[in-house]
Amino acid sequence: MNPVKALVLTGYGLNCDHETAYALELAGAVAHRVHINSLIDGTVAITDFQILVFGGGFSWGDDHGAGVVQAVRMKTNLGDKILKFIDVGNLVLGICNGFQTLVNLGLLPGFDHDYTKRSVALTFNDCGNFRDQWVTLKVVPTASCIFTAGLDVLELPVRHGEGKFYAEEAILYRLVEENQVVLQYALPDGSPAERDFPFNPNGSVHDIAGICDPSGRIFGLMPHPEAFNHWTNHPDWPRIKEKKKRAQENTEFVLTPGIRLFQNAVRYIQNK
Amino acid sequence: MAHRLEIALRPELFDAEGDGIRRKAKDYLGIELHSVRCIHVITIDANLTANQLNTIQTEIFTNPVTQLSSHNPLDIAFDWTVWVGFRPGVRDNPGSTAVEAVEDILDIKFASGEAIYTSKRYCLKGKDLDFKDVNTIAGELLANDIIQQWKIFSNDEWDPITGTGLIIPKVILNHTPKVTTISVHSDLSLKRISDERGLALNPADIPFIRSYFMDKKVRAGRAVKGLSDPTDVELEYISQARSDHCNHNTFRGLFRYRDLETGETDVMDNGGAITGIVGVYRDPMGTGKGSRLVMGGYGFCVGPRDYNGALRPHLHPRRLLDGVIEGVRDGGNKSGIPTTFGQVLFDHGYLGKCLVFVTALGMMPARIREKPAEQKKTTPGDLVIMCGGRVGKDGIHGVTASSETFSEHTPAGHVQIGDPYTQKKMHDFLLDARDEGLIQFVTDNGGGGLSSSVGESARFSNGCEIQLEKVPLKYEGLDQWEIWISESQERMTVAVRPEDLERFLALSKMHAVESTVIGRYTDSGKLYITYNGSACAYIDMDLTTSGFPQWEFDAEWLPPERRGLHEPVLKPPGNYRMVLLDMLSRPDICSKEWISRQYDHEVQGTSVIKPLVGAERDVSGDAAVIRPILSSSRGLAFAQALLPAYSAIDTYHMTGCTIDEAVRRLVAVGADFDQIGGVDNFCWPNIQFHPQNNPDGKLKAAKLVRSCRALREICLAYEIPLLSGKDSMYVDGHLQGRYKETHKVSALETLQFSATSIVRNINKCITMDSKVEGDLVYILGATRNELGGSEYYAHLGYVGLNVPEVVPEVFIPLYRELGKAMDDEIVASAHGIYRGGLGVHLALVAMGGNLGMKIDLGAVPVDQTNRDDVVLFSESAGRFIVTIDPRNRETFEQILSGLSFACIGAVTGDNRFVIKGIDGKHLVDVSVNVLKIAWKKPFGELI
Repeated sequence: MNPVKALVLTGYGLNCDHETAYALELAGAVAHRVHINSLIDGTVAITDFQILVFGGGFSWGDDHGAGVVQAVRMKTNLGDKILKFIDVGNLVLGICNGFQTLVNLGLLPGFDHDYTKRSVALTFNDCGNFRDQWVTLKVVPTASCIFTAGLDVLELPVRHGEGKFYAEEAILYRLVEENQVVLQYALPDGSPAERDFPFNPNGSVHDIAGICDPSGRIFGLMPHPEAFNHWTNHPDWPRIKEKKKRAQENTEFVLTPGIRLFQNAVRYIQNK
Repeated sequence: MAHRLEIALRPELFDAEGDGIRRKAKDYLGIELHSVRCIHVITIDANLTANQLNTIQTEIFTNPVTQLSSHNPLDIAFDWTVWVGFRPGVRDNPGSTAVEAVEDILDIKFASGEAIYTSKRYCLKGKDLDFKDVNTIAGELLANDIIQQWKIFSNDEWDPITGTGLIIPKVILNHTPKVTTISVHSDLSLKRISDERGLALNPADIPFIRSYFMDKKVRAGRAVKGLSDPTDVELEYISQARSDHCNHNTFRGLFRYRDLETGETDVMDNGGAITGIVGVYRDPMGTGKGSRLVMGGYGFCVGPRDYNGALRPHLHPRRLLDGVIEGVRDGGNKSGIPTTFGQVLFDHGYLGKCLVFVTALGMMPARIREKPAEQKKTTPGDLVIMCGGRVGKDGIHGVTASSETFSEHTPAGHVQIGDPYTQKKMHDFLLDARDEGLIQFVTDNGGGGLSSSVGESARFSNGCEIQLEKVPLKYEGLDQWEIWISESQERMTVAVRPEDLERFLALSKMHAVESTVIGRYTDSGKLYITYNGSACAYIDMDLTTSGFPQWEFDAEWLPPERRGLHEPVLKPPGNYRMVLLDMLSRPDICSKEWISRQYDHEVQGTSVIKPLVGAERDVSGDAAVIRPILSSSRGLAFAQALLPAYSAIDTYHMTGCTIDEAVRRLVAVGADFDQIGGVDNFCWPNIQFHPQNNPDGKLKAAKLVRSCRALREICLAYEIPLLSGKDSMYVDGHLQGRYKETHKVSALETLQFSATSIVRNINKCITMDSKVEGDLVYILGATRNELGGSEYYAHLGYVGLNVPEVVPEVFIPLYRELGKAMDDEIVASAHGIYRGGLGVHLALVAMGGNLGMKIDLGAVPVDQTNRDDVVLFSESAGRFIVTIDPRNRETFEQILSGLSFACIGAVTGDNRFVIKGIDGKHLVDVSVNVLKIAWKKPFGELI
């Protein structure tokens, strides 16, 4: 079987590339960190890959709206190639700054297979500041997303100043109706956060933390799955470990939910 | 022609930034606002067509979902509107990225002089607001007058068509660069020129500088290059190279130390050599052939956040702290470096100058292309390349300004704005270049700019030739000396072999980083600078390192009791519950979660122990742990400590305790005691005695000597190599008081000690929160009557005398044995006892676990004390609180046998925090929730 090849974008202030590549490798892919300009000048061909990751960071310093300038550069220089990449059945993942870029490119929500229209936004957190915290996320059971198959409730860190998901009522309605809402901020027990701070850390409407396109192959989320690549990333791990020890349970931990999300992507390509 | 674009959130969307300003206006200034809406203003000073303007308006600058925009002023209701923009020449980061985006989408290049400027307009609504209120909001909240300008319009005077008008903060110098020759015919005239130009030359250096330029042989050599008396480029270069900031003259100084009580005298030469040697290798990116940055830490020392005294600092400490927090946030977050650890202290002494410590850890491979990565040198023939940002007037005389106290004559122009975006691009580029073996030498352009980085790197090859006209500038009109010493940010100087140049520049271009060859290294023994072919400097390379007189200091030590310090006459309190709650609410102790949460501490995916730990993820951990190599189970622990309060008694013990605290923090999370490395950061008031201006200078000098002695002795005892260090020697400010009189405010003698060590197996790391009901609570280490300089005494208004002392031979075995217990995985939680003492830190362990605790003070091992208040609040070093599973009791006690420790209670499930006194009476019985409320009270509302 040919290895699944994943491309993680770098350059221009992006910064989660190392751990995103590492997470993809743990999930079974061969990951390459590729500078945006290497893709533009043709040194690296997007057609050699099956998974394209727009990772976290502060592309162009997040000036003029997070992900906006990155979207402009990608659209101007690579727009057609990306559309073709999607067209042939590949996967696109946008994490944090990458999610912001996907919505500014119009790859999300991608209604009616129009991958160029901006109809949703990620704007400034209601709390007025950048915030690093772990959140509980509920996977919407009816969501048609490739990446979250088999996951129900999971915890991941958010680290952003502009993560409030916003769209007009009609657009929201359509997202829900067409099973494109994938992740929602939740209370620790998995029930809806209903915009309660800090469980919903940014004031996102409908508690939306991640959405996908109608095909389920393009996925964007504000939380960082790649930052839960080892069980010691979880804020409660020393407590969990101690309690397991007392119950004389095995303290070896299995693959984290963060890595499972990447694994779903790799398996999808393998089984295609 | 210039164009303006105004952009705002759609009216139905909540304006979080505006609402933040509304809240601060009320909280900070007592001004009630009804609402604030923010407008982003883009001013495009370039020739664009209407079509082009339309494209960039819709494609770049307006989000169709959330924003509205217009080339005319947006019609947003206000009673007053305030426009805030940068002053000319101040780095406008969003303006630069806007140019990149516009050039990209329109496929054009901006002509020289064309630019985009960003600014903001705030629409304020409120009842009975007058101009004075609005001007206060503008000056105190919206703008910083050092870097920004503002304009205020009332609703009546606002013209809805012209709006703010077109304001273009373009730098126009209209100046032809000129090299000035400076006559050195007498010491007096050179001193005068030094004062006039702000060179800050040390008077003792002046005769030596003169003698060099008067030397016949030197003059003959210079004549060949067309030079006679020194040029301004040369004198500025010498000034920078000799500044205390670059050259560490104080730490390399000669100290005549005299103990006025014992009569002990000592002459300490190179007293701080440990620190002094770090001059060249300071910044991880410029260390060896370059490191990847893996984490950052911070330490802020500021005036009281609620200060309302008579002194008038330029910025209120609250505003200053907000700005400092924001600066480190943008710097760290946008660089993709996790900010994992930090501390904040408040003291009146920091009203004069605040201290901002920022620490970085970097990693490099042991070898690059078979060569040791930590070794670098320049070789004759190597090219001198400047990478990163461009050079402007910003940062000129930054070094000499920080080498002298602030006064009304300190030029505002030395302020620099960091540009993490440019720096991140450069960081990525330099690491790629390093891995391809293209870098022979790299160093950062920090203090002193090119004069320092080129001057230092050229020592290896023993010479260089620089063509100053090749240095890329932000704008025309800089004098040669300004180009040479400008501290414009985000620049590195790199030495590259000619055969590697093509590849180096190609890689640079791919990373969108500007790199320019500005000269080459030689072995001529000369620093030779030209501008368009004419010589402007020709100096011997070894001038600045040889022959200059050593700085000298008189240091006179009077022991604290001779200075009138004594223990207060104090009977124990009757209400311990209230004392404990008030201690938890003290600014230096209480929760500062709002700061930690603004810092990305998980980027790079390496987080093991986070800044906030515990059941509710809200109590500070002892140290941060990261797993910098993702595929490895080894980790790096990092912690730092600051205990300036002890300096009031004795800086020797301040230093010892600070080092010990940093070490214990590492031990508490499970780091290896035997692999600790340290970094010392000294921030000291001026120590040069002056009968009027610095009458206690000799004591401050003695305090520095004693601190350096402790640094040496304690680090030797703990076997800690000092990896790096830094010294800022002039932490004094002059503040105006109520009657327009001026007060000199000197900071406490402050040392931040940072420590890092290896964690052999991150899966065995320990956090400080109690874990399980029924666990036993132990105290490790003895408690002595050491309340001198404590938080408890400070709370009651005393300093005291009995400052805590470090006893390495007693502490070290304990640290090793605790490490062993952790390695055996029989420790459930571990926490050092730091500022505030046992009472405060037991409370923190209970709050961390969100579990109750029952403690018997009578069981605490003590040394020469039998008072409850001393046991609860003494800050004796060398102690820990540990909780363990009762089943491990025997093993644990066996490991520690022979050492000072005791079981003092248990973790309970009832959420009650109960302390029994030495005589068996209940001292404290309070719910853990109430403790936490008190601990979060001061800053809990901040986000």
